[in-house]
Amino acid sequence: MTGSPASTSGLPFFLPTSSGQCFCIYYAPPAAVALRGAILYAHPFGEEMNRSRRIAAVQARAFAAAGLAVLQIDLHGCGDSSGDFAEARWQTWKDDLALAHGWLAANAPSPVSLWGLRLGALLMLDYARHAALPVERFVLWQPVLNGQAWLTQWLRLRFAIHMLDGESGNNHVHGTQALRAELAQGQSVEVAGYELSPALACAIDAVDATTLAPAGGEVDWFDIAGNADKPPSPATAKIITAWQRQSIEVRHHQVVGQAFWALPEITECQALADATLAVFPAQMS
Amino acid sequence: MLDTLEVTQQVIAILNDVLALQPDHALRADSLLLGSIPEFDSMAVINVITALEEHFGISMQDDEICAATFDSVASLSTFVERQLGQ
Repeated sequence: MTGSPASTSGLPFFLPTSSGQCFCIYYAPPAAVALRGAILYAHPFGEEMNRSRRIAAVQARAFAAAGLAVLQIDLHGCGDSSGDFAEARWQTWKDDLALAHGWLAANAPSPVSLWGLRLGALLMLDYARHAALPVERFVLWQPVLNGQAWLTQWLRLRFAIHMLDGESGNNHVHGTQALRAELAQGQSVEVAGYELSPALACAIDAVDATTLAPAGGEVDWFDIAGNADKPPSPATAKIITAWQRQSIEVRHHQVVGQAFWALPEITECQALADATLAVFPAQMS
Repeated sequence: MLDTLEVTQQVIAILNDVLALQPDHALRADSLLLGSIPEFDSMAVINVITALEEHFGISMQDDEICAATFDSVASLSTFVERQLGQ
């Protein structure tokens, strides 16, 4: 691995928002490198955010070294930003992204691309539908395709330990349905140390990538698997086809690597880093 | 529409990815999973379910997640195939 030059280390700061302040890190290109673009990053949620921090930071430095300024923001109630997760709302997150987008456009005047990982990618797509500023390109890393499925998977973490006790029909059955019923009654639920509000759950439930075809900007979609020869999964292929029917330019990239957002061990994914950097043209046209 | 062989192959690919199985542990349709593969613990089950759901665009209900479904590659593939057919 080549060492990162000190000039591409990030600049941490707090961005004031209507609900407090969001922790941000700005990675500017070194002085000797011409600015040729800017990228706003949306992180995944829960443990996936912690597990992917390092890879996101490494990628941001690689972008900056190549002339692409990057802004990473911890959304409201996440990471080092103000608010508890219980106070987090989908709309607040989109408002945070809008502020960050504006900050980036003002401080790194160049075409802005949006980059998101997992649920962060789905949030980016939803944000972009009503974004006031133009988007040059979407970089989706293993995007979550359906908010409802994601929420069920997340609620399921509560029952991991009892997952396979006995046979069908035992006492853990309807576990996620019981949690969903609590949410429907207006109660928060706690899973894996995160308190989820009914409002956030309801908003996540309603997001579906099928209906979020990005109107402006090209899309580079990256999926990570143990084998590069694999075609896009049936679920991914379905959405890409739907988007292409709406004349959206989507390129699917399959890269070899591990599901780093799900692994407790610190990992790297050089193939993903290289393939992602390669989609940005070397010269601004 | 995927046929049985394709579904089984994709299920095996997902199990290999998620469980990070060594090459000498090559899975086949009749390979036993739960209780036979040490890597297949409760967190692995959660991760396999998530990967299957995201890959095939299916959704597993609470009462469908039982030991019998995860008995073997064949039982898991049959389950996925049934979900896809719905």
